[in-house]
Amino acid sequence: MNKKLIGALLFLLPVVTLGQNSRPAQLTVKDIQGRHIRLSDYRGKVVLVNFWATWCPPCRAEIPDLIRLQRDYGRRGLQVIGVTYPPQKLEEVRGFVRRAKVNYPIGLGTKETKSLFSPSETLPMTVVIGTDGRIRDIIEGILLAEEFEQKIKPMLK
Amino acid sequence: MKSKSIVLVTAVILMIAFTSIGALAITKKSTIRVEGMKCSKCTASVEKALKATPGVERVELNLERKEAVVEYDDAKVTESKLREVINATGFKAVEEKPDSQ
Repeated sequence: MNKKLIGALLFLLPVVTLGQNSRPAQLTVKDIQGRHIRLSDYRGKVVLVNFWATWCPPCRAEIPDLIRLQRDYGRRGLQVIGVTYPPQKLEEVRGFVRRAKVNYPIGLGTKETKSLFSPSETLPMTVVIGTDGRIRDIIEGILLAEEFEQKIKPMLK
Repeated sequence: MKSKSIVLVTAVILMIAFTSIGALAITKKSTIRVEGMKCSKCTASVEKALKATPGVERVELNLERKEAVVEYDDAKVTESKLREVINATGFKAVEEKPDSQ
């Protein structure tokens, strides 16, 4: 019985509890290796939680830019975290991440994961989280260079 | 006195001429076929990228016909540039149907 309960709880992963702007956002998802990604582990960094899918052309087009941002601004406190949106096969995600040489963690999300951040169904979608863990912005569609310059860069060290 | 009047008249003529040129700026409309644009969740990026392009005045996407209808100032942006912008969003602008206006 206990095993069933534990199984059900594991099935419900990713566990997402998101506070409003008044309290820090919390997110826990499993990554493509089965390890947990916890937003709380990145407190003190500016985190971009990027919702994407391998079947979404703009999401795929955006990923090289996110890789570049992680590479160029990681030392200034930027952390990108990718979270997939279903339907999504784990093997496809793993293959894409390997081919694209993604340099940031990728978590496996559900519709609920994304809907707790925003009711919008737009993909890609990037949630900007400040060093205090609070949501600062939600960017729908590809993150444009000017949006990064205006909204995210000023938050970095 | 006479030369002052000539300068004034010339200035007025020049002002009218410049204003007329501005008023004559024509908004061009292009219908661009976008291959792969079948996911309603993903089209926001196309609209957003086009609207962020200087010179673009209006964007309308037709998911059913897989078309982007763009109104723009062709003195500021070309149709070729619009196709580049669409391609950068991961879709493919495959065809153009220029509509004269």
